[in-house]
This record gives sequence, C-alpha cells and structure tokens, in this order.
Amino acid sequence: MSTRVHITGMGIISAIGDSVEETFLSLSECRTGIAKINHLQTLHKNEFVCGEVKHSNEELNKMAGTALFNRTTVLGLMAVQEALKNAEITNIKEARTGFISSTTVAGMCHSELVYKDFFEKKSNENFIDSHFSGISTNEIAAHLGIDAYVTTISTACSSAANAVMLGARLIKNNILDRVVVGGVDALSKFTLNGFNTLMILDTEWCKPFDENRKGLNLGEGAAFLVLESEDQVKKYDKKTLAFLSGYGNANDAYHQTASSPEGHGAFLAMQKALQVAGFDARKIDYINAHGTGTPNNDSSEGIAMQTIFENKVPKFSSTKAYTGHTLAAAAGIEAVISILSIQHNMIFPCLNRLEQMKDLQITPVTTLEKNVDLKHVMSNSFGFGGNCSTLIFSKN
Amino acid sequence: MGAYINSLSCISHHNTISEDFFFEETPALPSSNFLFVTAPVYKDYIPANTIRRTSHILKMGISAGLMCLRNAGEEKIDAIITGTAMGCYEDTDKFLRSIDDNDERMLAPTSFIQSTHNTVAGQIALLTKCHGYNFTYVHQNLSFEYALLDALLLLKEGEAQTILVGGVDELIPPLCELFERAGHIKKTEDLRHPIWDSKTNGYVAGEGATFFNLSAKANEKSIAKISGIKTIQKITDAKDLLENSNSFLKKIGLTKQDVSLVLSGINGDSEKDNRLKEFNTQIGLPIAYFKHLCGEYFTASGFALWLASKIIQKQSVPTCVFPNSIVPQNIKHLLIVNQFNDQYYSLICVSQC
Amino acid sequence: MSIYIIQKTYNTYTVYKMEVQEIVTSLKSQIVEQLNLEEIKPEDIDTDAPLFGTGLGLDSIDALELIVLLEKNYNVKIEDPKESKAIFASVKTMAEYIAAHTK
Repeated sequence: MSTRVHITGMGIISAIGDSVEETFLSLSECRTGIAKINHLQTLHKNEFVCGEVKHSNEELNKMAGTALFNRTTVLGLMAVQEALKNAEITNIKEARTGFISSTTVAGMCHSELVYKDFFEKKSNENFIDSHFSGISTNEIAAHLGIDAYVTTISTACSSAANAVMLGARLIKNNILDRVVVGGVDALSKFTLNGFNTLMILDTEWCKPFDENRKGLNLGEGAAFLVLESEDQVKKYDKKTLAFLSGYGNANDAYHQTASSPEGHGAFLAMQKALQVAGFDARKIDYINAHGTGTPNNDSSEGIAMQTIFENKVPKFSSTKAYTGHTLAAAAGIEAVISILSIQHNMIFPCLNRLEQMKDLQITPVTTLEKNVDLKHVMSNSFGFGGNCSTLIFSKN
Repeated sequence: MGAYINSLSCISHHNTISEDFFFEETPALPSSNFLFVTAPVYKDYIPANTIRRTSHILKMGISAGLMCLRNAGEEKIDAIITGTAMGCYEDTDKFLRSIDDNDERMLAPTSFIQSTHNTVAGQIALLTKCHGYNFTYVHQNLSFEYALLDALLLLKEGEAQTILVGGVDELIPPLCELFERAGHIKKTEDLRHPIWDSKTNGYVAGEGATFFNLSAKANEKSIAKISGIKTIQKITDAKDLLENSNSFLKKIGLTKQDVSLVLSGINGDSEKDNRLKEFNTQIGLPIAYFKHLCGEYFTASGFALWLASKIIQKQSVPTCVFPNSIVPQNIKHLLIVNQFNDQYYSLICVSQC
Repeated sequence: MSIYIIQKTYNTYTVYKMEVQEIVTSLKSQIVEQLNLEEIKPEDIDTDAPLFGTGLGLDSIDALELIVLLEKNYNVKIEDPKESKAIFASVKTMAEYIAAHTK
C-alpha cells in the first residue's frame, strides 16, 4: 500500500460556472452564484436565495449532448465528462477504471413533479426508473463505458468526500488503476422545504463564520475528480494536478442533525486525515471549511479547528457564499476549489463575512489572497447522521 | 481479502429473529406476493424516546444492528457500514406528500430529517456511541455487496478490528403500489408454482434487515467466513456469468469442485430469470433458492448471506430451500449468485471457518 | 377611575387565565399526538414541569415540531428558533405565549 494517489483531472458545474475555467474566474473575481430562484418551481421562489446552476434542464441536456436525462443525471454526466477530458482519458478500457458517485436526493427533482398525480390521479407518469440513488450512477457509467467498479455513496453532506476517500483506498490497494469520484445533487422542493423546516435557511445571502449568520443557502451542482495510481501516471505520462495525501471519516455520534458543541466528530476526521497524510497539523497551509453559515456548524467547526490546530489555526475560509450548500456535491465542489487554490496560489475568501464570531478566536480570510504558496490544503465536509469527513490535498 | 462472521441477525418475513428457527416447517411456496417482515419487539432494542418517531426501516435496521451486537456479546464496534437502495422511503414519502398537501407551508421536520439514506447507520452510531468509520452505500441491488466490499477492505487495511455491516430495505404501501403498477409484481394466482419453476412474469416483493459482525481473524464465536465478493456490472449471457464465476473462484484459490452448493437469486420472474436459470443448468452444481422466503428487494443478498452462514454453521440445508432429494454433505464452500431484473450480478463465496 | 382600571384589569386577567387553562388542556393532547408520545397520556403531563432535558425529555427536533404545532393549530409563528427555549419551557409557558399572541 505505497502508491501515492494522483489527481489527474477534474470537472465541475455549479452556480458559479459550467466548467473548471468558469469556476476559477468566478472565484478569483469574488463573484457569487447565489441569486433569486429561477428554474426550481416552488412556492418559496421569492422567499429564498439559492446557488442554482444557470441553465434549464433542456439547456443542460443540449450542452451534454443527451436528450432525456433528469437534472441530477445530466449535471453529473457533464462534470464527469469534463473530468475525463481534463485527465486526457479517451479509452476507458485501457485500465481498470471505476466510478464512485454520491447523492442525497438523486432523482427527486423529477419524482416530486409527478408524485402526487401518480398516487392520487393514478397518472402513468412514473418515477421508478429515475428516483433511486444508484440509477443515475449506472446511467452515467453505462454512457461512458465504465464497469470495473461502479457504486454510489450517500452520507448526507459528506458524501462526495467519502466517494473520494473510497476511490483513494481502491487505488492504494491495487483494486483499480484509476477512478472517477465525486457527487451530484440538484435543487428540489424536497430539500428546500426540508431545510426550511429545520429553520436553518437564510432568506438572504448567507454569511459563513459571521457573528450574525442566520443559516445556509442551498445550492446545486456536480463535481468529480479523476484519481490515478502512480504506475498509471508514469505509464501514460500524465500531468498531476495535485495529490490526495490524506483522508479521514469519523462519526460525531451526538445528534441526528446538529454537531456537538466541541465538534468532536470534526476533530476526529481532521485528526485521521492528518494521520493518513503522515504529517503534523502545522503543515496545513489553508482549510476550506464546511462553513455552511448555520449558527451550529460554524461554531462547532471553528472550535474543532482551534482544538486540533492547538490555536495555531492556518488560514481558512468557507466558499459556500459563492456556491451555496450543494449537499452531496459539496465536498466534490470544494475539492476542485481546493485544487484550484493550490494550482493558482490563491485563497478564495469567505464572502459576506463582516463580524467576528464571539465564541471563536480565529478569523477567516475575507479578501482574495494571491501569491500564497499552498503546499497542503485541508477540506472539511460534515453531514447529518454525524458523518464527518476531511480530505487533504497536496501540491507535491 | 476475506472476513469472519462472528454474529449475525435477520429480520425477515419468517421468524428469523428467533435463534432456534431454521425453516423446519416452512413451505416452498410464498404465502403472498408481498412478504412483510415478522418484527421483533422493537422496544427491546430501541429506547422509547427514539422509537416514538422512527419509521419502519429505522425500526428494522436499528434493531437488527443492535441485535447483531447483542448476539456477539459486544456493545462496542469500530465501524458501521450499511447498504440500502431505497433508503428511508416511508419518511421520504411522508414529507413529499406533506409538501403538496400543505402548499409547502407548516411542514413538520422529523420525516425530512430521517429521510436521509444514512439514518440507520447514523442512529446505530448514536446509540452505541461509535465514533468510527460510518458509510452508507445506495447502489440498487449491489448496495449490500458494496458495503461488504468496503468492510473487507477496511479489515485488510487494519483500520478496524470489528465492523458492523448490514443491508436493509423496506416495503410499504406506496412502494407496493409503485412496483405493482410498474408491472413488477407476480400475480397471486401465479404463486402456485415454486419460483424456480415459474413460467410467469413478476416477482414476489419483500423487505428485511440483516446485519453481520465481521472481523479479520476468526474467534471461538465465528460462524462462517466470507471468502470473496465480486460485483458484475453487466453480463452478455449465461456463459459470461459462468466465466466470471470460474475466474472469481480461481482468484480466491478455489475451483467449482470445492463448492458444495449454489444459493441462487432466482426471483420467479421467468423472463428476467432466464439467463440465471441457464447459468444454473450450466454450472453443474446443486442449486438452492432463497427469494421465496425473503421476497425480492434490493438488499436481499443480505438475507442470502445470513442463510448461507446458517447453512455452513448448521451443516444443514432446509428442505424448502433445496428442491432436490440429494442434500449436499460437508458443505465447505457455498456460492451466492444474485441479480435483480437480470442486471448487476454479484457473487459471494461463504466458507467454513 | 383607578378603581375601574383595576377592576377591568382583574376581569381581563381572569378571562386570560381561563384561556390559558383551555389551551393547556388542548396542548397536552396535541403535544402527545405531534410528538408521537405513545406511552404517555395527556392528563399525565405536568403543566409546570420542564418539557426539555428532564421532565418529558424532549430534544431540539421536538422543539421544531412544536414550532409547527403552534403555527398550524394556533396561527402563532415563532420566527427565531432561539426564542423557543423560553417559550417551550413548560406546557404552561407555551399556553401563556399562545394566549398572549392570539386575538
């Protein structure tokens, strides 16, 4: 188990761009993608702001060159296609290639439109072929000819991080040569209303790590990385964008949805990731925090960071004020953002953050920083069910 | 890459919650085309404060998980991995309907909170205070297999000493209607023939929760060994499945001759079972069946693993499972061959310790 | 004049007290139903006892359910979940809040 895990490609679509390039432009120009709801049909349309992908389903299918995929599948496919192109993979079968996707609500974006009529009016418009989680993964895998190892993970908001982690382990254990890993979630009435019942949505632009933060803004999107083994990279003379040097998953085991006040699960996940990376916390140059903007998360995560870094917390920010909270896709999207940070020597700021949190000693980066040498970047993602995951990306 | 099963639990249509039960008087024909579970006394496992708001799948999954731990005489576990294709469907259905019924206003949060697929794994972690690795796989009829594969990998990596792995899916009225109207369900009048002799379409639907306590090393409690698992995304024909099986067995150091029995995922849909039936005739091994006992559901392979482990432990094959008169003796290795809808096949080899 | 005010205030207080008592009774059954407290009878709930932590041992998810209950059954909206801790201290404080916020 000695091979390093190389990241050779990435693909992304979210509220701040349809590609890695567009995403980088938005990030470096501090342009948020959070805006009034445009495509999602909901009675809350004028009440909440979200990080919507700026295209209708028809437009997305046209861009992807497909006809009938639902929003979740087409978003996923587009990000995977970009990642494979970025990794210069044209022949899937030339190596043992896997696909690990993740999602929280899968085909709900379609199901919720036809659900009531299906049961009450006995209408024929079904959702059995699109609703369940593994379906879009299988559709994307079939479309691209990937069949060596195809699976779907669902652990709420840490899902994509766990997909990345599993991919890395499969490579390190010589089960796969390369694997496409990440996550996708499309906005739905189900999640918008769901989070609203928890009273953790902000009706205005969210303010991660701000004393007066009121909650999160939901987002949508997809992001995937291509992970390859050292042998594979050498064999095909691939360029490496970054390395996945550490990863860790732990459970807070405190409450179904809330994080423990001291962020115990978060602490354990970060600790595990550092152990796997084989270096000290002091080596981390920047943390892309989970930072949803909810009173509970930012406090809990901040305290966990102070604990593990023993009050020498490196620079950190949350980029969710750019993209919104994209649920299963979040860790994938933030993985891409972390790698862009490394590649471009930039730290993308915690937008809309004005006032220091009284219960933290630490302050996030609030303006764009350039010419910062980021050797190791940590990315956190924490989900319902106490599921806490951390990834570490390295330049060399 | 293998693992030892140190304890197990099964909530299914039959009385599998009872330690002594092993299908002694169970008929070979299913009683209905929807096989709902025989439940344990849930409050023996789940605290009152939790049970009051848990849905059907949560009751099943949490109880089966805790039952498995109790059977192992353990309270602590290093990691929890579950597989569920449909997740918490009852809560999903409840919340979805309430959205429309109430025009997206004044919605109650509990069913949304519990609709996430990793709620079973999360709740077990909460109740056992397990801070370890916690994953949930949601990949159609390979959900349980991928949970098992992950567990085996975790043991191999030395990242956990004991792992609780489970497969769970529920069957509730809206799903019964969904499957029936999609043309999946066998008609009641077609239940007269055993599923392995079926000439009609449709399967008998089921539900269940099965959990296993796994470790890398055997101990005095070990019941059976998982020698290997393989998932197959696509087969071209029965011969392809046969070749896959042969190469799978070879990889784990076995040949067909070492396998005493095949536990086949025939579900009674004569059209979709076709290629698996052909495989069954070509493999030249005794064939047993399980889906007439547990019904067809995405994580039915969990029930198959439970049954296989029990067969290995007891060295006895229930009559209702094996239609032939010559019962295999000295069962050292057993091969589970499963599929759903003639797609996404899986192979699990279960062996004596 | 001042005697009249005291008199009127006393009458309003008596009426107010009765409303609270009626609300307390209805609330108890509604709480049992909304929170699925299967083993508990409404009449067994102590009006003044803490609802959270000790007493009935409710948690933050229940608090959200009670917020929905208030809006649905009494048209009383709680905008900030942080306020709910004081409001839901006991059945009595809940009833008083409802009485004070409905016409």
